Amino acid sequence: MNSSIFGNELIARRDFLGSVSQGLAGVALASLVAPSIGSAKTISRHHPAKAKRVLQIFCPGAVSQVDTWDYKPALERHHGQPLPEEGAFLSFQGKNGNLMKSPWEFRAYGQTGKRLSSMLPHLGAHVDDMAFVHSLTSKTNTHGPGCVFMNTGFSADGFPANGAWVSYALGSANENLPAYVVIPDIRGEPPSGKANWTSGFLPAEHQGVALNAQKTIRNLQSPEEYSPQAESEYRRFLAQLNQRHAAGSPEITELKARIAAYELAGRMQISAPEATDFAAESVGTKKLYGVDDPNPLKAAYAKNCILARRLLERGVRFITLYCGSRASGVDGLLNWDAHKKLKADYERHIPILDQPSAALITDLKSRGLLDDTLVIWTSEFGRMPTHQEGTTGRDHNPDAFTLWMLGAGVKGGTSYGATDEFGRRAAEHPTTVYDFYATVLDLLGIDHERLTFYHNGIERRLTDVHGRSITEVIA
Amino acid sequence: MALMLVTRISHLVRRFGTSRFFLLGLLACSGAVLWPAAADDRVDFASEIAPILSRHCLTCHNRERTEGRLSLVSLADLARPKTPKNVVVASDPDSSLLIQMVSSSALGERPEMPREGSPLTAEQVALLRAWVKQGAEWPEELELQSAARADLTWWSLQPLSGSAPPAVEPSLRSRVRNGVDAFVVQQLAERQLPSSPVADKRTLIRRLSFVLHGLPPEPEEIAEFLADSRPGAWERLVDRYLASPRYGERWGRHWLDVIRFGESNGYERNVIRNNAWYFRDYVIDSLNRDKPYDRFVQEHLAGDRLGSNEPEVEVGTAFLVGGAYDDVGNQDPAAALQIRANTIDDMINASASAFLGLTVSCARCHDHKFDPIPQADYYRFQSAFAGVQQGARILASAEERNRYEREREPLAESLEQVRQTIEQVREGVRKRVERRKPELTKQFNRPKVDPYGTEERFEPVVAKAVRLEINGTTQGRYHRPVIDEFEVWTPEPDSRNVALASYGSKATANSMRYSNDDPLLYSALKTNDGGYGEYWIANLAGGVLTVEFPRLETVSRVIWSNDRVRAFSRNRSRPFSTDYTISVSVDGEEWTPVASSQGREPFNESLLNDKLFAQVVNQEENKRLGELDKRRRELERQLNAVKGLPQAWVGNFQQPAKATYLMQGGDPTRVGAEIPPSSLKVLEQLYPGYRLDPNAPEGERRLELARWLTDRRNPLFSRVMVNRLWHYHFGRGIVATPSDFGAGGSEPTYPALLDWMAGELIRHEWRLKPIHRLILNSHTWRQASDARPEGVNRDRDAVYLWRYPPRRLEAEAIRDAILRITGSLNTAMGGPGFRLYRYSLDNVATYYPLDEYDPSTFRRSVYHQHVRAAQVDLLTDFDCPDPALPAPSRTATISPQQAMSLQNHPFVIQQAKALAERLAERHPGGSVADQVTTAYRLCFAREPEADELSAAVALVRSHGLPLFCRALINANEFIYLR
Repeated sequence: MNSSIFGNELIARRDFLGSVSQGLAGVALASLVAPSIGSAKTISRHHPAKAKRVLQIFCPGAVSQVDTWDYKPALERHHGQPLPEEGAFLSFQGKNGNLMKSPWEFRAYGQTGKRLSSMLPHLGAHVDDMAFVHSLTSKTNTHGPGCVFMNTGFSADGFPANGAWVSYALGSANENLPAYVVIPDIRGEPPSGKANWTSGFLPAEHQGVALNAQKTIRNLQSPEEYSPQAESEYRRFLAQLNQRHAAGSPEITELKARIAAYELAGRMQISAPEATDFAAESVGTKKLYGVDDPNPLKAAYAKNCILARRLLERGVRFITLYCGSRASGVDGLLNWDAHKKLKADYERHIPILDQPSAALITDLKSRGLLDDTLVIWTSEFGRMPTHQEGTTGRDHNPDAFTLWMLGAGVKGGTSYGATDEFGRRAAEHPTTVYDFYATVLDLLGIDHERLTFYHNGIERRLTDVHGRSITEVIA
Repeated sequence: MALMLVTRISHLVRRFGTSRFFLLGLLACSGAVLWPAAADDRVDFASEIAPILSRHCLTCHNRERTEGRLSLVSLADLARPKTPKNVVVASDPDSSLLIQMVSSSALGERPEMPREGSPLTAEQVALLRAWVKQGAEWPEELELQSAARADLTWWSLQPLSGSAPPAVEPSLRSRVRNGVDAFVVQQLAERQLPSSPVADKRTLIRRLSFVLHGLPPEPEEIAEFLADSRPGAWERLVDRYLASPRYGERWGRHWLDVIRFGESNGYERNVIRNNAWYFRDYVIDSLNRDKPYDRFVQEHLAGDRLGSNEPEVEVGTAFLVGGAYDDVGNQDPAAALQIRANTIDDMINASASAFLGLTVSCARCHDHKFDPIPQADYYRFQSAFAGVQQGARILASAEERNRYEREREPLAESLEQVRQTIEQVREGVRKRVERRKPELTKQFNRPKVDPYGTEERFEPVVAKAVRLEINGTTQGRYHRPVIDEFEVWTPEPDSRNVALASYGSKATANSMRYSNDDPLLYSALKTNDGGYGEYWIANLAGGVLTVEFPRLETVSRVIWSNDRVRAFSRNRSRPFSTDYTISVSVDGEEWTPVASSQGREPFNESLLNDKLFAQVVNQEENKRLGELDKRRRELERQLNAVKGLPQAWVGNFQQPAKATYLMQGGDPTRVGAEIPPSSLKVLEQLYPGYRLDPNAPEGERRLELARWLTDRRNPLFSRVMVNRLWHYHFGRGIVATPSDFGAGGSEPTYPALLDWMAGELIRHEWRLKPIHRLILNSHTWRQASDARPEGVNRDRDAVYLWRYPPRRLEAEAIRDAILRITGSLNTAMGGPGFRLYRYSLDNVATYYPLDEYDPSTFRRSVYHQHVRAAQVDLLTDFDCPDPALPAPSRTATISPQQAMSLQNHPFVIQQAKALAERLAERHPGGSVADQVTTAYRLCFAREPEADELSAAVALVRSHGLPLFCRALINANEFIYLR
């Protein structure tokens, strides 16, 4: 360092600007407006990024932490006894019974020997790369608001989703694909549906684009009735119309941006089908994921996992991959909502998740993508350590649940925060969804307090007015 | 001396269109002085500089939150090691970052700082410069404290100024048609940015048509207007457009945005509301009749009190319950309280933002951070709405109610008599059943069926197929049975289940419940998959389940269940077969019964009684009951045929059980002080408020609130509304944040004009059409939109209206314009809406966007049943907001999805063909040139240029009219307004 603290004035100024302006948002937006819409973006971050893209695996229905990631030996010892101090308390569906141990053993995985359910052999193999947060809490105990809260930072509908914020901040790294893709489960949309991937009050182009291995992007292809030649002449004619019109108003840059958006749509017609075509995938890869599994639900999820990898490879910025869908009226059937019979429900759900997700991580790793891809696994809240009265299932628990992170910038083999001895409440370092997203944005090089958008009187954020980056899980 | 003012573009500058410019400005920011500073007087830090820093800088630049590593609390803070050195360079304003940050590089550019709130005024910047210039003295001991950014002196909290149009220099009078122009033209002149000349007549009528109706003008209308050279042609056109019902449809849609009106419940279940459209029609009708705005809002808040049994008044309270709410239900008491608080929060947010332009909901957890709104004000609102419940209720006039009772009563009485007679006869039978019960129950010599697993054994028999016919279930005859597994076993030893799919057998059923997400979710395949988690659910009462083996088998035993995993207690299982027959067949045609429910103990007391009743009842009684039942059904049919009273989603009102209390930190379990229903403190200085008893009747509370809010002494009420009108006329308001007149929002570009128009609104007894006329007849509105270099350079977004600002049309206007030009638009008004999605309810609602639209949907978009959390192609892609939250302004984004839906969705392809047919019809066998010319008139309200014509004709000749029409629909010119 020389005379100036920052070495030279230019840097000082840029730092000052970067930190005090809304510049971050401005830059990403600006690149969209510029006539070169869709070309690779000049990305501006608040600090160096460890991750360039995010893969979120979301298991809706509230995954029971004490039957998967959060080992609670006390539950075995006190099985059948009342939960101390709380007794038969009321939760979402009503009365709770006594403590109930997990139907499965927990066993040590990996070098770290972290104990997870024996139902998770494939994901367990990656345990040394995972950073667990065991002390998550939610603001709501209802699935729809819970999922929306986990994805947007607000339990009410209408706020922009995580991927929309990241798209708004960083744009796409691929000029021919959307920045934010959502891969719904073959069984349907998660609780509260499209509110989970809305752009809210952010510009509409940041909404999640839904596609999966079963259904492609809406309105992508040109109508069949027009021949390729007719289509190309149509495009030329339209471009002429628009250029002529724009030439009369050069000051309206949006007119040029719309011309570019049409060109981009044309390129997406070619690049999106290429991304969803698995022909080039080897037999070995397909087997690794379980694409030909006799269980059609597992096979479908496995295909969606391959799709996720292909999209990440091609520069999609943020992907949310669902394993499970909405509440069907039969608890625990379509998602992880095991109210009545946890064992049977999870023997259905866990095998769908385990092998394909683990294969996806293995595959990302072997291709070097984990170096700059952040993988996060989430559910909307947890479940009670007790059984629900009259059943062998568990009720909703917003006071304790687990998530994990893996990949770019994540300190593998760590566990942050802890629940009490039964897993009823977050006891050590209670953590919020705001903290979690402060961390995710931090890894992306973004200060969560400075990624803002004005709406109805407030500079809104993904983290509302809260949040602290959990630096303990950052490498 | 005319002082150049820094252009105050606030947050909306972050909108799409301005961002790039903003960025360039940011990089090029030079701190150039655009105005002369007062040089003579010495600037005093404590009295002149400290307040500026405290109010505008310290929120972010304090010792706790050192944004940019900068704290501005004291002089010492500036010398801290990590603080940038050149924040303040004494005597050198141009080198001081502080001055650079708060200055704009060019007129119309927002300065870098402050990031939130409005930029500093020119005077404030000049003061800062002068202070730096004179040496930047800052008394060492003086530490600054962050001040709330607005207090009761905030501009929007002042009474209307009573301003009158200023005198205008004679040279400018040609551009003054009314009071609006006097304010604008004079100030533009002072900025040396003169207004633009009047636009040509084609542009004007197209603009008028889109702004007032959301539709393009018909070519005949254009021709007529062009031909009308008499004086007053424009004013007549304006009057005619204002009188058209299309006006209410267009502006009604704006209002529905502002108040977050949606036609589904939102949240997890998001069930559709089929009875909310009454309110949409009411809004359209109120605007078309030019109902006074104060009355309109009073009806929104207390229509039930203002017009009991007057449906057209009562319907207004649908506003209160037009938002989203969580109806899942919650047994956790704290969660239930929170959900209720959230439901009312939606009402508070909608009311305060729409009627006051205040963000009162920011004060839910603490005093407002920017505005002088104490936390208690939030709970004052809450106490007003404490009795409002989401839901529907009957909406009918007294006459309708009387008519209904007249028709219904005699039928209901007869029905009641018949029912009583039936009951008497049945009671006689039941008494005999009770007497004979011990004897009769002996016939049941086998155990009752078991949902966890029921077995029937029979003599070994050769079969190709086995079937289970179900005639009754554990919950009664009319329920749909559920079966999780059905097994057919060969004789022991080596007994095998030959029903399994893995064995090659096939299970089918005569009906199944359908799931949109997975068509096979509840299919019969689930009964022989060897797993118990999934089920066959019949879609009809009773059911027939058949399993066919791959070859002939000898079988002797069947086991089936509907809850093998024991999720429910036995007695509370889902409907399970109680009355059944099991048959076998070798050919699938002739069936031989091998087992049945004969002799099984009935599943429960009620099924037992039903069974014994049927055995004990005698022939005469049976005949009598049959006749009575026929009569009963007939009466029920007649009763159903009586035209019912309409139920509308207007809310229900219940007196709250408890008074309202402040919730500490916004947490409903942390009860604070009691808050009586009363007016907001933030407006107390302006006019007298009210205060009711804490337990005042809930309707009283809303009525008082309504009267107080709409008082003409409330300057926010009138200012906010005239600003909304202005906003939709020009694409941005005089205040660019139409629902935020606080310190977080923008300050007015033309404050005196805003106040004058607010006064005009009151003078015209709150009628909106006179204000529309004022705006539409002004020169300001009628200006051309052509770019002028000096204007673009200095005020790119025409914030000060040196031209009419061009902009993109909204989603609805684009869709409606397509339907209009193709001749497909059905202008039928009102009634239930149409849907561009398929609605599916399977516990929770799912909205699937449609690929093909039926012509019954070719109505104006305002009649689309506007639900939450749905994405519907064109509408969503062109920024139609989700009604989860109020949307006081629309964004205008640009995305490839727009291109995809506008050029590939079957609706557009189909409409392009419709336009082609219309053109062909107009010019039967006529020249392509004529067809192209008509298309240009329809789409762009102009004639094609010669080269355009020849290019279009060439395209049509080689690829046909529809492709050409598709291009016009996709053209920028079609969806831009200027």
